Amino acid sequence: MNATSGVLMTDAFLFWFLAIVTLVSALSVILMVNPLFSALSLVMSMVGVAALFVTMQAYFLAGVQLIVYAGAVMVLFVMVLMLFDLNLEKKAFSRGPGSSFLKIASVGLFAGLLIGGVVFSELMTAENAETTATLAKTDGTRALGRLLFEQYLWGFEVLGVLLLVVAIGAVALSRSKGGTHAKH
Amino acid sequence: MGSDSLEISINVIKMILIFLMMVQAVPILVWLERRGSAFIQNRLGPNRVGPLGLVQLLADAVKFLQKEEFIPAKGIRVLYYAAPVIALVPATLAFLAIPIGAPMSLEAFELFGSEWGPYRFALQGYEVGVGIVFVLGVSSLAAYAVLLAGWGSGNKYSILGALRASSQMISYELALGLSIVGVILLYGSFNFSDMILAQQGPLAIKAFGRELVIGWLPNWGIFFQPLGAILFFAATFAESNRLPFDLPEGEAELVAGFHVEYGGFKMLLFFIGEYGHMMVASGLMATFYFGGYQVPFMSPDQVLAWVSTWAPGANSAAVISSLLHHVVFLVKIAVFLWIFIHVRWTLPRFRYDQLMDLGWKTMLPWALANTILTAIVIAVAAS
Amino acid sequence: MPLGGVIFITIFILLFGSLLLFLASKVGRKVSDPVKAQSYECGIPVQEKKDTKMSVKFYLTAILFIIFDIEIIFMYPWALTFRDFLDRGQGIYILVSMGFFLLVFIFGLFWEIKSKALEWD
Repeated sequence: MNATSGVLMTDAFLFWFLAIVTLVSALSVILMVNPLFSALSLVMSMVGVAALFVTMQAYFLAGVQLIVYAGAVMVLFVMVLMLFDLNLEKKAFSRGPGSSFLKIASVGLFAGLLIGGVVFSELMTAENAETTATLAKTDGTRALGRLLFEQYLWGFEVLGVLLLVVAIGAVALSRSKGGTHAKH
Repeated sequence: MGSDSLEISINVIKMILIFLMMVQAVPILVWLERRGSAFIQNRLGPNRVGPLGLVQLLADAVKFLQKEEFIPAKGIRVLYYAAPVIALVPATLAFLAIPIGAPMSLEAFELFGSEWGPYRFALQGYEVGVGIVFVLGVSSLAAYAVLLAGWGSGNKYSILGALRASSQMISYELALGLSIVGVILLYGSFNFSDMILAQQGPLAIKAFGRELVIGWLPNWGIFFQPLGAILFFAATFAESNRLPFDLPEGEAELVAGFHVEYGGFKMLLFFIGEYGHMMVASGLMATFYFGGYQVPFMSPDQVLAWVSTWAPGANSAAVISSLLHHVVFLVKIAVFLWIFIHVRWTLPRFRYDQLMDLGWKTMLPWALANTILTAIVIAVAAS
Repeated sequence: MPLGGVIFITIFILLFGSLLLFLASKVGRKVSDPVKAQSYECGIPVQEKKDTKMSVKFYLTAILFIIFDIEIIFMYPWALTFRDFLDRGQGIYILVSMGFFLLVFIFGLFWEIKSKALEWD
């Protein structure tokens, strides 16, 4: 990204724009009544996160975020939400301002606690410093490919098995009693 | 985006022009489709409005403009109106990433009294380093336009049509993604320009340390990845909901599937999106397997050298050479678009379960086999 | 990557489409009729059933798509760095390591086909 290419395209402006879009969509995930609008706001926030990855020059990750998260997982969410009758969901979302505020505040505090603990831990910062320094010198995706097959090969293979387990589990779940695919 | 105001403004205008080019190509394509399908079916097609019926689409657009705007009572306003507009976005973003002509390197020239430095304009909307991954990413967002249209109509048949359409689109994205892995294995890069430049000159097979040159065939990807090309092309038919994968908008069965409650200009926007996906698919076919914007057997540098012999000045030579490459690209896309149209009126429509079986049980295993075979052949040939 | 360009053209397309729709809505006539607002059902009045069960096939298709999509995404860095590994003489290593992954993938696909998880009747 060219930081000197005029005032509209500076890194700072782009970052703030994307950050605000992402945060507003993330907030509307929890604040919207209709679950489908929540899911769509989540899509928007994922697209925002993908764009933020691009500003950090993690191009392949941005593409993967779009392909897998926004293009597969969220499509699943949206499709499944369309299979239900959402009027029941809308009525169940309690609209009292006091209880809503308490719910959101407690979740926010808990999340802040978790993230603070992770970020300020020694282990995280030391390891991050080393890998970003070495990776920043080479082309991102090639380095990712090399690392994946040299250092993290075991994790890569285990991931394949994990995905297999998920597939079998999903099929087994779909055959639970009372559904359209139940075994008679 | 550029380092000074002329470069930025030219890049911005370039993006807008390519988008408008895509939108304007739709009337031409629809005319071609209606006349072409008519000739295939031994009839004449539109030939009254304007010469050869060319103005038919303009008349249709005016008609669509005058249609009444309505929304079914059970529809959700936001989604109903947003879905056609969202349908335009993925196809356009993907098309803007494909190089449609050779990059032109301009030397310093003088305009409006000041000196503008040496430039290099790439004939793409924007240059993306991870070209393929970006195109796949935005294409997978096309499922949302369909889903939102179906849900926003508030009609249970629309919802059903939308769910079926999006299931079809995502099933074929697997075969699409996997056939692209073969292309990446072949060229070793995600970038479109790298892939195109790797297809220069005559066919050169590098194996076992030696090189075999077949002078009468161009160095195109189709000769290295025939199975992958067929799988990719078939998968893109399903991605753009074109016959024979037409069931979600099956005009004889579901009336119109997910866009049954749409009329007038909103439906036209859906069709612009569909033809946009067709153009992206044709562009990608040309880029991966047919040498992109290059003239067969000649590299862009050779073409530039030839143009420089008769063009006045170096800058105009660069511009003319780029335009020449652009015309070659347009010809290649036109061939594929014609194949899209021809196939539509030749093959019967698949039944839905046949369609899903084809995607999961036939194309996915074949794409896997293609990848494994390509990897083994490359590994063996490099030793 | 020119992110600014992508964002600009996305906003441009959205505005362009919205402008077109807005203009189209202003030009047409407006005669409101209760029949027009009913959902389309091939001409017959709308029939609502009490509990329509949507099939779980859509969910299964989407979940299996996610699984295989992630596996295909993992093949992208592999394909990109394939030649680099070959150049360094580690061809067997890279082939075998991906071979195990592909074995699991193929087993998953084979199991899913055999268990008729995606039968659309």
